[in-house]
Amino acid sequence: GWRRAMGRPALLLLALCAAGARGLYFHIGETEKRCFIEEIPDETMVIGNYRTQMWDKQKEVFLPSTPGLGMHVEVKDPEGKVVLSRQYGSEGRFTFTSHTPGDHQICLHSNSTRMALFAGGRLRVHLDIQVGEHANNYPEIAARDKLTELQLRARQLLDQVEQIQKEQDYQRYREERFRLTSESTNQRVLWWSIAQTVILILTGIWQMRHLKSFFEAKKLV
Amino acid sequence: MGDKIWLPCPVALLLLATVFSVLLPGAAGFTPSLDSDFTFTLPAGQKECFYQPMPLKASLEIEYQVLDGAGLDIDFHLASPEGRTLVFEQRKSDGVHTVETEDGDYMFCFDNTFSTISEKVIFFELILDNMGEQEQEQEDWKKYITGTDMLDMKLEDILESINSIKARLSKSGHIQTLLRAFEARDRNIQESNFDRVNFWSMVNLVVMVVVSAIQVYMLKSLFEDKRKSRT
Repeated sequence: GWRRAMGRPALLLLALCAAGARGLYFHIGETEKRCFIEEIPDETMVIGNYRTQMWDKQKEVFLPSTPGLGMHVEVKDPEGKVVLSRQYGSEGRFTFTSHTPGDHQICLHSNSTRMALFAGGRLRVHLDIQVGEHANNYPEIAARDKLTELQLRARQLLDQVEQIQKEQDYQRYREERFRLTSESTNQRVLWWSIAQTVILILTGIWQMRHLKSFFEAKKLV
Repeated sequence: MGDKIWLPCPVALLLLATVFSVLLPGAAGFTPSLDSDFTFTLPAGQKECFYQPMPLKASLEIEYQVLDGAGLDIDFHLASPEGRTLVFEQRKSDGVHTVETEDGDYMFCFDNTFSTISEKVIFFELILDNMGEQEQEQEDWKKYITGTDMLDMKLEDILESINSIKARLSKSGHIQTLLRAFEARDRNIQESNFDRVNFWSMVNLVVMVVVSAIQVYMLKSLFEDKRKSRT
């Protein structure tokens, strides 16, 4: 905690303290696994932040922090290969960069080993996932590259435009896949209808011929 | 060097130390952004709820779409911090809702209990406005920059147009997210069509061949029995 405080001014800390209560949260059970899908272009960085709170049955409130509780984070790429599989503390931050475009799956589950902690059965997880240029830490970039305000803002706009462009390229690739599947389906429907008609006609002819020869053999006709 | 005042290092550290020690333990480690979107899988027969804390007089816009899964529909429920139901939709494929918020945690739920076998993939996007954080962010950035820019008078105009560009690019980003969700849904529909066409064509073929063979052999067997009974 002390190391994290070193690089930030007091004002930002206070802002964080107030804003930290503002994120989306949900409840999970002890062995429950929650997965989120992020469809992203390639070479895109994704940063996820989470914070957990445990339900205190006696006081009937959520405790501000959960010492000793870990969350296991697993990220799979579109082909199902595991990109990240790590255990973090009750509060954590995970990062990964995509190398193939597509659906990446981010799964979280708690690794509680002590059943007593979960008597109430609920764990509150605050989650925030930032993709692409939203993941950039501009104050850090400004300090590192020694930028003036104008330069920093221009840099941010450039990053934003670059992300939009990447997304558009990815959109083009997806649309092509979509079009190929549609065209393939259309073709198959057409060929199958023709084949079906031909098979029906042939089967009808075969049935008639076979029955005719059968009746003739049995001396009915 | 600019006309900004930088505290000498030890004093800055002392200030940080006092402020940090005053803060509650377990203070948040991150500032969540104002707009977020999530895509998740909802198994059959389950319900999942999310909560979003909101301040007074802000605006919460939630947009959801079902991207994959059988009938592409889901039940949606939005409740105010007091538990009052603001929105209740059943078996909808997508929806947009905006609410003027009061202070507290808003809860919204996706309900897939009506479905027994198919799991749904649901995309939802939260757009928060008037949260009062925009100015804070700009103030924070000021603390990190080095040097000044020349032409202080013109700087204000330039900054204003930069802000406007940023807002417009954010809007483009939003529209892209939306288009992505639509496209994903259409693609899933098409892929499921493709699978269905393949499967039922095969079934059709097998059924046709089997039925025609059965018809022929049944007729044949009818005649054979009668012949035997006559003699």
